[in-house]
Amino acid sequence: MPERDVDEGLDGPDRQLLDAVQREIPLTEEPWAEIGRGLGLSGEEVLARLRRLSEEGIVRKLGPVISARKVGLRAATLVAMKVPSRKLSEIVGIINGYDEVSHNYERDHIYNVWFTLTAPDRESLTHLLSEIHMRTGISEGDVLNLPTERLFKVRVNFNMGGR
Amino acid sequence: MEPQLDGRDVALLRATQDGIPLVPEPFRDIARVTGLSEDEVVTRLKRLKENGVIRRFGASINHRRVGIVANALVAWEVPQSRIEDVGTAFAGNERVTHCILRGTVPGRWTYNLFTVLHGRDRATVEGLVQEMSDSTGIANYLILFSTRQFKKTSNGRIVERAIAAVTGEVDRTLSI
Repeated sequence: MPERDVDEGLDGPDRQLLDAVQREIPLTEEPWAEIGRGLGLSGEEVLARLRRLSEEGIVRKLGPVISARKVGLRAATLVAMKVPSRKLSEIVGIINGYDEVSHNYERDHIYNVWFTLTAPDRESLTHLLSEIHMRTGISEGDVLNLPTERLFKVRVNFNMGGR
Repeated sequence: MEPQLDGRDVALLRATQDGIPLVPEPFRDIARVTGLSEDEVVTRLKRLKENGVIRRFGASINHRRVGIVANALVAWEVPQSRIEDVGTAFAGNERVTHCILRGTVPGRWTYNLFTVLHGRDRATVEGLVQEMSDSTGIANYLILFSTRQFKKTSNGRIVERAIAAVTGEVDRTLSI
């Protein structure tokens, strides 16, 4: 289902604001005014724009991105599966039912389902994976388990061209 | 070492993980919800950011809504001796959002370095990947475009799960 592209409707201050708030929301009692100072906008205007961008579905949320590792979920892996198309929706339903699965995408490859799993340790990951094998009926030969060894970069902001 | 979190930190992460309210004084609302003072809310959030529990306190945007619709996971086969310099180079690329070294599956999967790239269309992303390949000399790679998003959670109930994994209780000091 294609989503309407609202990019054309963003003005210069919107773009600057999106770049700024993706970088950080200042942790102070008046964050909107502080953001506005850097952009030549009042705190009221910053808040009004953020409300509109949020209503338009461009801003999903303003808040913390929490490090799974730092709160004890030390093991993570990327799993790729070969799933026959007739079983796709059933199997995706099973996989998405796990809280341990944070992302799940269909990709253009013979391994067509790619999802990420996090758990307190490697043993828990192995246990989860064997349960997923059992419940989905996808055998190990049709699955790649690609555990995280080192994070070089994890970032989630997008340059909106506000500069 | 992982930072020590206490019950108040956990309450704060819970109260903010789905986003702060768009009101004139958002941290005053968070203070009301958690029973802390506004000052303590701000001080604790700053500390959680300093010790890395909060990786970033900011906006998450729906990039599909602003026309960034091509999303590729690129898997690279990088020789052991090149991992450090190639990983660092890819991570330094403004267009790369994720760069992660992963274990392989001997005999079945030899790609070890994964990057995530986004762009307005596939051709743009393919161009970026070509540049990355040219500048590092890593010629063996696979571009895996996403065709559907089945699930995407930002914090993925991380706080609840981390707590459950360790104690099943929140109202005391946790070393998690």
